[in-house]
Amino acid sequence: MQKIEAVIQPSKLDAVKDALVEIGVQGMTITEARGHGRQKGHTEFYRGREYSVDLLPKVKLETVVSDEMVDKAVTAIITVARTGTIGDGKIFVTKIDEAIRIRNDERGEMAL
Amino acid sequence: MAEKETPESAMRSEYQRRMLAIRAEFDAGATGGETIAARSKAMDDLVAGLWVEAVKQTPALRTGIALVALGGYGRSELFPYSDVDLLFLLDSKVSEKDVKLPIRRVSQELWDNGIRLSPQTRKRSEAEKFEADNVEFALALLDHRLLAGDTAVYERFAKVGLPKMLERDGKAISQGLADLTADRHKKYGDTLFHLEPSIKDCPGGLRDVHVCAWLEKLAAAGADAAKDGAQTGDSNSGLAIGDREEFAEAVEFLFVVRCFLHYRHERDDNTLDWLAQDAAAATLVGQGRSRAATTDAAYWMRLYFRHARSVERRLIQMLETVPTKQKGGRWSLPGLTRGRRRNEPVPVGYRVEGGRAILSPAGTAAGTAPGDPAQDPEVVLQLFATMARTGCLLDRRSEERMSQALPLLSTHLEEGPVLWRHLREILLGQYAGKALRAMHALGILELLIPEFHGIDALVIRDAYHRYTVDEHTMVLIDTLHGMEMEQTGQMAEWATRFGGILRDVQHADLLYLGALLHDTGKGRSTGDHAGESARMAESVAGRLELDAYESELMMGLIRNHLEMSAALRRDIFDLETVRAFAGKVQTPEALRMLTLFTYSDINAVHPDALTPWKAENLWRLYLATANYLDRSVDDERVGASVGKELVHRVASVLPGKRAEVEAFLEGFPERYLRTRTPEQVRLHFEMAQRFDQDKVQLEFHYAAGTSEITLLTRDRALLFSDMAGALAGWGMNIVTADAFSNRQGIVVDTFRFTDTFRTLEMNTSEHSAFVASVHDVMVGKLAVEKLLTGRRRGRRKAPKVLVQTRVDFDDLASTHSTLLQVVAQDMPGLLRAVSLALAEGECNIEVALVDTEGETAIDVFYVTRNGSKLDSDQESALKQALLARIEANAG
Repeated sequence: MQKIEAVIQPSKLDAVKDALVEIGVQGMTITEARGHGRQKGHTEFYRGREYSVDLLPKVKLETVVSDEMVDKAVTAIITVARTGTIGDGKIFVTKIDEAIRIRNDERGEMAL
Repeated sequence: MAEKETPESAMRSEYQRRMLAIRAEFDAGATGGETIAARSKAMDDLVAGLWVEAVKQTPALRTGIALVALGGYGRSELFPYSDVDLLFLLDSKVSEKDVKLPIRRVSQELWDNGIRLSPQTRKRSEAEKFEADNVEFALALLDHRLLAGDTAVYERFAKVGLPKMLERDGKAISQGLADLTADRHKKYGDTLFHLEPSIKDCPGGLRDVHVCAWLEKLAAAGADAAKDGAQTGDSNSGLAIGDREEFAEAVEFLFVVRCFLHYRHERDDNTLDWLAQDAAAATLVGQGRSRAATTDAAYWMRLYFRHARSVERRLIQMLETVPTKQKGGRWSLPGLTRGRRRNEPVPVGYRVEGGRAILSPAGTAAGTAPGDPAQDPEVVLQLFATMARTGCLLDRRSEERMSQALPLLSTHLEEGPVLWRHLREILLGQYAGKALRAMHALGILELLIPEFHGIDALVIRDAYHRYTVDEHTMVLIDTLHGMEMEQTGQMAEWATRFGGILRDVQHADLLYLGALLHDTGKGRSTGDHAGESARMAESVAGRLELDAYESELMMGLIRNHLEMSAALRRDIFDLETVRAFAGKVQTPEALRMLTLFTYSDINAVHPDALTPWKAENLWRLYLATANYLDRSVDDERVGASVGKELVHRVASVLPGKRAEVEAFLEGFPERYLRTRTPEQVRLHFEMAQRFDQDKVQLEFHYAAGTSEITLLTRDRALLFSDMAGALAGWGMNIVTADAFSNRQGIVVDTFRFTDTFRTLEMNTSEHSAFVASVHDVMVGKLAVEKLLTGRRRGRRKAPKVLVQTRVDFDDLASTHSTLLQVVAQDMPGLLRAVSLALAEGECNIEVALVDTEGETAIDVFYVTRNGSKLDSDQESALKQALLARIEANAG
């Protein structure tokens, strides 16, 4: 089992969710996030006042999948979330030791 | 080996048999009241039987101890899976340790029967002592009933000890009960209109029924004490017969639904979830043999809400009798704390006393129509406007009178501007939500706006909404008004920032009306509720006789009310997203209204729906769109292929003159047409046709707040600055202005201003002198400097916020003009100073957009010099000239 964390543009969320469901990913957690990588913020002016946008709005999507699903899921996210410009986001993949379904104590991939 | 039957096991079997029989009778149609009374009786028999056995084993128990049912059990209202509150009441001579074992045995037997027993053992002296930190126990004691044991112990408690406690501590118990109720309601967002309510704890639920009963008992105990033991009065005597019946029906409905839920969930779970709603509707729970019985869950829920509303109404009436310490929340009475302000109308036909609005008795109110003020729409609507303005509550008797007078009120109701005047006053009041909810509960809101009836207590199931459609609307209106108040919590910063936009909205009344009507289309299943709501709003606008501009602004808000949320799901940093969204809102005013609406709409979906993350994105989209709208004005002009639809709209009000209309409109920025009604443009067209009689045409509208003057003439040097100077010369403070010109060089300059020295307000006769004077300046008969010199400079108040002057240029905003933005401290003469500097710099104003935000003046000009953009040297020189002029004006 591995955990995929994808930080993506909010506007790509619906498409990424659909793509993951399409390949059989069962569940995911979405968090509203702010951040920046190489794409730094910028400053906007409105009515004579400066508004600096240091951290840009992003969403973080987390899902845990079986080892054989990892490449498929990562490819699905990249295909949909990529625009080719700075700010498309990042994907992090980490190993997971155990998963437990609280309701019935199922363990491992059964619990995903 | 078969277990030997004992008296206890026989009683256990008998109890189980009776439980099954009670359930069968419930399934066969027994009422809720019958069902809970039957379980209570079965429990009585079991407890009494077990006690008989206990006494047999321990004869000492025969005296000095009484078994008392408390709480719901004390009221003989035992729901199928409810707890059983049992008090073992001991006389002072009985030692607790002597009775511990038999009490434990009886309790054990009950637990073994699957009964959730809450036993308590107390000496009479303890039970009769009120503990302020345990109000719940004092409340449970109010519903006491002897089950078994020593009658004398019980009698001393019930007839002596308890009445003494109530006499001594009744007020504190009432106060504690009011506080507990307020805290419980707060947990449920202070509304009964939940999509999946708890029918016990939600406002309007069974707990509120109990609160009403407890308050009655406490009031009766107080009255008894006052009369020194005289006969207790009828606890329902203050209620009209109709209300009494309505309340009794509501209670029975809640009884039957709670029984249904307990049997369905097989535990004490009182949540009316969606599946339970479906099942309740399908089996006609609580509908008896009503001919209007329905199996539609949404309609069944309306039945629930109707009953819950009558419980809540009764509760609020009962709470009026509690001398509460004011601590905020729903029953707080802000109207108590301040008197009538200077410009507020004197109440006629009602008065406000102790935070309650009270109707005058029939036939006594001077200045009203003869008869009952409850039947006079002028009085009733003015009363609700007072509620909306001050937050006071409606007095109980007045509410009943209004309810009874509803048919006659409807016959006296006048539509059109009179109704709009009242409605806008209510909508603009800081506590509009309170007043509108009261009107809705009484059916008065539906009388004014029948379209609202379709969403009355309407449940639309989705994963996000927590409230019914009508309550969602009220929460939205509360959120909008909340922005005007001091903010706390994690959204405080954002609410304050968006509140700044609210102050700039010129048509707040239309924003609130749009908010009120935005979901009315949900009452019809067309699939496009925004479009349907807009259609319904059109008919409301017609009845209120809003003008075409106002109607379109309000309907556009409703039609587009999902557009900003939709844009937030796209890339808000992408210019295309902004451009497309700007195309939908079209004007800054519509953008401001939609932004505020969207903020409040998200907040009204669910208490956690609006996060700082969402608010920030909404703010970014607002900024980007506002900037886009200001920066695209100069390029988007009416021409051969642009703005045809807008031209068509104007041509349709000038039949037979299409060619002349097209010639007149050609070259005007689209913004001009989008911010005016076709009627207004028609007027401007006709003014332009009269140039041969008078080359300077003026149109003046006086209003108590902001007046407006529009100038049509051929463009010339110093035109804008002369106009600004003429207004400054009369002491007028320009709030907003815009200036547009067409291809023929005809300018339409509109200035909106406030009358700083109340010259026009105090002297109506000065209106024509004012217009004549402005005209003389514009035709060159009167030098503007002379007018300005004659003007006594008023003493300027020290500004609350210091605004740093800022001059910026943008060469990219327009293809052929330079955009100039001047931000400065707002003060009289500023616009004249800025426009003079422009004239001296030989700049031609192509478009002007002048605005004021608090004490900040924000003036945007599209300027050219000799028909071209300014170069950097010219910009630099102009900047210095502007700064010098602004400084001189400030000095």
